[in-house]
Amino acid sequence: MNAAAQKTDKGLMPISKKGLLRTLAGQWQLMLMSVPVLLYVLLFNYFPMRGWIAAFQDFNPRIGFSGSKFIGLKNFIDLFGFGELPPDEFLIVFRNTLAMSLINLVFGTVSSILLAILLNELRIKWFKRTVQTVTYLPHFLSMVIVVSMAQNIFSTEGAVNDFIMSLGLVKEPVFWLGEGKLFWWLVGVINVWKEVGWSAIIYISAMTSIDPCLYEAASIDGAGRFARILHVTLPGIKSTFVILLIMNIGHLLEAGFDIQYLMGNPLVRDYSRTIDIYVLNYSVGAAKQNYGLAIAAGMFKSVVAIILLFTANFIARRLNENTLV
Amino acid sequence: MKKLLCLMLMLAMVLSIAPAFAEGAEPITLTVFRGDPGDQPTEDNKIYKLIEEKFGVTFKFEFLAGDLNEKLGLMIAGEDYPDLFDGGNSADLIINAGALINLLDYINPDDTPRLWEHIEPQKARLIEKDANGNDVLYIIPNYGLADGDQIANSVGGPAFFIQKQVLAWADYPEIKTLNEYFDLLEEFILDNPTNADGTPYTGFAILCEDWRHFCLINPVQHLMGRPNDGEVYICVTEQNYEVTGNDPSEPFKTETFIDKPYAKAYYEKLNEAFHNGLISQDTFVMNYDQYIAAISSGTVLGMFDQAWDFGTATSALIDAGMDENTYVALGLVYDPEYVNGVEIEEHYLNGSVPNVRRGFGISVKSEYAERIVAMWEEMLSNEWQLIFNWGIEGEDYYVENGRLMMTAEQYANTNDANWKLANKAEGFFQSSPKKQGWIMDGEFEGNAWEPGNQPEIVLGLMNEYDQAFLSAYGYSKFADFVNPPIELAPYGEAWQIDYTPVDVDHTKFLQIQDQRLPELITCDPAEFDAKWDAFVEEIAPYATAFADYMQEAVLAEAAKVLGE
Amino acid sequence: MIDKAIATTHRKSRLNREWAFPTVNVVLLVLLMFLTLYPVINTVAYSFNDGTDALRGHIGLWPRKFSLVSYKNLLSKPELYQSAKITVLKTILTTILNLLITGMLSFTLSCREYVLRKFITTVMVLTMYVNAGLIPNYLLVTKTLGLHNTFWAYIIPSMFSCFNMIIIRTYIMGLPDALVESARIDGAGDFRVYWQIIFPLCTPVLATVALFVAVGSWNSWFDTYLYNSAEPDLHTLQYFLKMQLATTQAQANKAKATVEALQAADVSTTPVTIRCATTVITTVPILIVYPFLQRYFVTGIALGSVKG
Repeated sequence: MNAAAQKTDKGLMPISKKGLLRTLAGQWQLMLMSVPVLLYVLLFNYFPMRGWIAAFQDFNPRIGFSGSKFIGLKNFIDLFGFGELPPDEFLIVFRNTLAMSLINLVFGTVSSILLAILLNELRIKWFKRTVQTVTYLPHFLSMVIVVSMAQNIFSTEGAVNDFIMSLGLVKEPVFWLGEGKLFWWLVGVINVWKEVGWSAIIYISAMTSIDPCLYEAASIDGAGRFARILHVTLPGIKSTFVILLIMNIGHLLEAGFDIQYLMGNPLVRDYSRTIDIYVLNYSVGAAKQNYGLAIAAGMFKSVVAIILLFTANFIARRLNENTLV
Repeated sequence: MKKLLCLMLMLAMVLSIAPAFAEGAEPITLTVFRGDPGDQPTEDNKIYKLIEEKFGVTFKFEFLAGDLNEKLGLMIAGEDYPDLFDGGNSADLIINAGALINLLDYINPDDTPRLWEHIEPQKARLIEKDANGNDVLYIIPNYGLADGDQIANSVGGPAFFIQKQVLAWADYPEIKTLNEYFDLLEEFILDNPTNADGTPYTGFAILCEDWRHFCLINPVQHLMGRPNDGEVYICVTEQNYEVTGNDPSEPFKTETFIDKPYAKAYYEKLNEAFHNGLISQDTFVMNYDQYIAAISSGTVLGMFDQAWDFGTATSALIDAGMDENTYVALGLVYDPEYVNGVEIEEHYLNGSVPNVRRGFGISVKSEYAERIVAMWEEMLSNEWQLIFNWGIEGEDYYVENGRLMMTAEQYANTNDANWKLANKAEGFFQSSPKKQGWIMDGEFEGNAWEPGNQPEIVLGLMNEYDQAFLSAYGYSKFADFVNPPIELAPYGEAWQIDYTPVDVDHTKFLQIQDQRLPELITCDPAEFDAKWDAFVEEIAPYATAFADYMQEAVLAEAAKVLGE
Repeated sequence: MIDKAIATTHRKSRLNREWAFPTVNVVLLVLLMFLTLYPVINTVAYSFNDGTDALRGHIGLWPRKFSLVSYKNLLSKPELYQSAKITVLKTILTTILNLLITGMLSFTLSCREYVLRKFITTVMVLTMYVNAGLIPNYLLVTKTLGLHNTFWAYIIPSMFSCFNMIIIRTYIMGLPDALVESARIDGAGDFRVYWQIIFPLCTPVLATVALFVAVGSWNSWFDTYLYNSAEPDLHTLQYFLKMQLATTQAQANKAKATVEALQAADVSTTPVTIRCATTVITTVPILIVYPFLQRYFVTGIALGSVKG
């Protein structure tokens, strides 16, 4: 049944036993299609990385990377709260970042797969297309608009409180926007609301590659609708799911910036601030910019991302799943 | 041969003189960066056409979209500087990066008498010392170098605001102190819990969003009798020393006010107002749009804010014919009971402050420094200032008995953004040196430089409701509700001081206030004292670091003006 | 066709059990549509409302005080049309280049026998996680390559994205091997295998990636802000509209605080309505083009028919 997974570990052709060079020469067409892109990426993504040197500098944009004063690990020491910056903050923003991106990852993935499955089960084509178009629309609204709307809906006089009070679930309105502990979940809900239709597109397109014969065969075997979803649809998108999961695990320190910045308020500050907001607070001023601190934070996030990424990739390989690298 | 040599010599001379001669005519395009957003002028803009005809200068504008600090950082890293460079509120970045030339190389009493005369009265504040101890001036302020008596028709800055209907309901009382203000709000709301539509009134709103948190953290200094010094209280008068209990022998004693016992009274008052239902908990999570929406709907009775911060809401109220829901600015002070029986003298209006380091500088990459300065010099003439401020006579304004006048339509135009793109040179003029205040000489002596300040225009525009409201008080203008402006303190206004060196402490200083003050306002009154003490203790190290730095900076600023 | 076939089979075999799920499904999706449609219609309602009146908030699904002033204001600016032209050009060119480059690369990296596969994949994947920071990237495009203040600043730095490559590669690796193998036995080179066999099969995923790239390019303003802000003729639509919004905001803040001036002022456009109108203006073109891409991945091309 699991056709997609079976294929993954089979090579298209046995690897040539001749010398490496001979093999390479035989693959000149593949090289022609890939090496220019490699060079492009080296120029646009790797060459600028000499800028990381600023993490060890008291960087001054006027002097540039070659002339700025070296200050060793001071930016990192500051970043982690052992230097000039207040000591307790880094742990808090680290926790918030991780919590919100985990919630986003779980909510986001589950909801978009669910939507894709529901859409896939629709048989009326115009309805399917309409639902798909409508659900992805909020992706195009700016975060400012979405957050502003959410703030109205979740205010003490807003629609959500009206609704749960009319159902008799609570007596007093819930102060959704002022409770730190609710903040992470609100961010999760709003992100799903805004992005579910958009994120589902990848899964919907992955489902098109499922061989319709498999559904037919399953039906003939007497599989019901849920059985077909379980044994045909889900295996069919498993490789996409695994790849996206590995990629997203690498992004666990990216919880977003806009939504927390816009939704945050003094009452929830201990739960709303992410690493990015923390770095912005202390690195950008009207007269001086602590560019080195921002770069140090970026480097830290990159290193963590790469460790997470390869760990996830390793586990996937061990489980005989599709891998990213 | 000799002839030829002569000819060549003459030719050479002519050629070498020619550029200097023809300089006024040779057409050039100046690149301009503005550190704030804006629209490109239309191609046939009449004022820019005049400038092109007279000076041979056209402009290529770049306005800011996005983050100013980031954009300036990139420009500095790439050394991509325009000719005319306005760094907006972050001009310190470009000055520190050495992006601007020293204007004093071009400005002096002989060559540029008008520019010199323009900066001369405030020269102590404007001219600074660079690292080598030389006199430097990078930017001529775009605003705040005004001539004549200060114009104060209304309160444009910070104040406690109250809806006109509340004052009218109480038969036009004089509200001068904190207690009077909150007592009135409470009485009104008791009598009128909702408006005519049945929407409940909010007694007092506090906007806490991001940089607009000044509504939460700034009022105490004003209640203590000082104009806006940002987050510090500076003792200038004897009374300032008396109410703070500072030692009068320390000149310009500077302290953070938020952690002082006298600040406690204000937040305790707010705590009381919260429990009386005047303040809603929603106020602490409100964003700016929601705040404006609340004010625009006419259900917020009072707030502390700066008048420009809710200008759009005021216009929405006027638009909807809800004049009784618009606001009066009150200059509240502490009742004597809070400050050892002292009757505090109120000062919300301050002397006009030169907008130091704001406006155009000329970048080191520009080849046209001399021409730009010469152009500014010419533009400071009454003739050109009239063109920039009032426009073209007959089209944009008319003259009646030596008074500059505008019809209602003409004045409405000056507030129409699209009209201005074709008929005003704002992209250039807003950041250029300009005359403000009163016209001091010539044909139109005694008129205001800005149409919006011309008494005939201002008073002519006031609607009937406001006229009746003012006459009930026996006032002629809304500024009469507060004391006239005081003389600017020698250090200027302390919010202008660059506190980069204590940036980290200052950020933390603000963060603690953002977080703890709402907690204090909403907490159980029985816990207030303990929570206040905890707050003071938590903020103390950052407050001290910030205050110490500001004390030195204030003294340094004052020394520039006072000599020493 | 096949969908229908399956549907009929089922209708015959389990008539009673089969109606419950579709009903619940349709109800759920209609509910979801309502939840996602609400903010969109609300935005449209605001955009057609008088600006000053909109400041009061509480507008639902219909404008309270109908007005076209926000649209009139934006659509009357000649810069809008110039910037739209630039944006269309840039979006088309970027999308085509991305599909060409990413498609071919994805194919090569899906070939298990390709010697450089692992190395190149790793190098590519890392680009998603390491970021050199703003200034070095800026200096590369401006000082090193000199692309600023040219149209190419939009194209050259954004010709490739690793994320899209991974998506296409995953899709290709899910295709039946037999197709490629038979072609190779016929002696086809990699170019031919890609263009004649893989490429047509990839239509759904290429349409998806085209959508991602096109929408990203259409919506980006940051490249203009970085490289072409000083060249008004090269401004993009999103940058222009962002500037309009910022300007309206600045004007609102600068608005004379005196009541007297406000009584004369014409502030019928406000940031609230301009923001919504710009959203509508930029989204409508996407909605118009969208169905042409959508048919490739929502209804899908029936893979079976290609195989058969």
